[in-house]
Amino acid sequence: MAQSPQETPFGSQEAFHAAFAELYPRLVSYARRYGANFPEDIAQEAFVILMQREVAVEHPTAFLYGTVRTLSLTERRPMKNQNLSLEAVSEPGLAGGADDQVLNQEVRERMRMLSPTFREALWLFVVEGLSIREIADILDIPEATVKTRIHRAKAQLKDQLNPSGGVHVLV
Amino acid sequence: MSWSDPARRFEPAEDVQLRAELRDLLGLGPMMAPRSAEPTAELKALAEDLRREAQRRSRTERKRPTWGLLAAAALPLLAALVGLGSWGFQQKHRADDLAGQAQSQEQELSRLAASHASELARERQAKEQVQHQLQLASRRDNRRGEPFLVIPVEKPLKVTGDDYQRVKQNPQH
Repeated sequence: MAQSPQETPFGSQEAFHAAFAELYPRLVSYARRYGANFPEDIAQEAFVILMQREVAVEHPTAFLYGTVRTLSLTERRPMKNQNLSLEAVSEPGLAGGADDQVLNQEVRERMRMLSPTFREALWLFVVEGLSIREIADILDIPEATVKTRIHRAKAQLKDQLNPSGGVHVLV
Repeated sequence: MSWSDPARRFEPAEDVQLRAELRDLLGLGPMMAPRSAEPTAELKALAEDLRREAQRRSRTERKRPTWGLLAAAALPLLAALVGLGSWGFQQKHRADDLAGQAQSQEQELSRLAASHASELARERQAKEQVQHQLQLASRRDNRRGEPFLVIPVEKPLKVTGDDYQRVKQNPQH
């Protein structure tokens, strides 16, 4: 469905301003976690790309997060051939910045000990508050895979809390 | 209600519960609804700037004659294809002509070969006939010559007309 020039992906102009004010800092923080050199530029570019689309996007938030993720990874691409640690490049939650303001040391430590694949899904689900469907759109994976990753992250967190062992079931 | 409120996205209850459990495990506490504070003038201005940039990009992109560009890009390919096609058509015509010529030549050659073969057969037949007649004649001559004894004689001084002497009468058949 095409949107009129005055209409925004978030509805009215006021709704757009409110969404922008709420999402922009989060997207900047998300880009920073991917190690982007210019996270503000990336977040703004994501908004422009979203509003440039003639066809309305079903999940604008997921689209913005996905675009920021892609742009951040693309920005890092020229550094691919350098001997960079993959952990430092592609894992959200390691680069610091806005996370430090949101999470305390203990939480960050717990997140850091998780498997990188599970950490990304867990971060988007728990900290960013996105739905399973939106995370699936962002990471371009099936919803079932997102759920699996989140449940495995949960199991790993339980293992951290109960290092002596114990049986738990993946729910 | 804030646009990013989970309730607005109709999240299943089990997902909401799972998020609460995970937040509890991480020690984050319950999910707080985002503050719907009034956006600052600076953020509003930035949002409007971005919207204008998006509109500007949309306008400039729409002006691009996409089909015209595609047609222009495809034109050399089309010309090459047409040239190739006409060349192929000419080649096919030439090949057809040559094939026709070769076929007519082959027919002519086979006709010549057939006439030559019939002539040879006729000659062979005539030769066989002649040989047969010769054999017959020779057999006849042999049979006729059998009762005769031809003795060459010295030519007499007196010309008698024959150069042989008959010693026996012709056999009566």
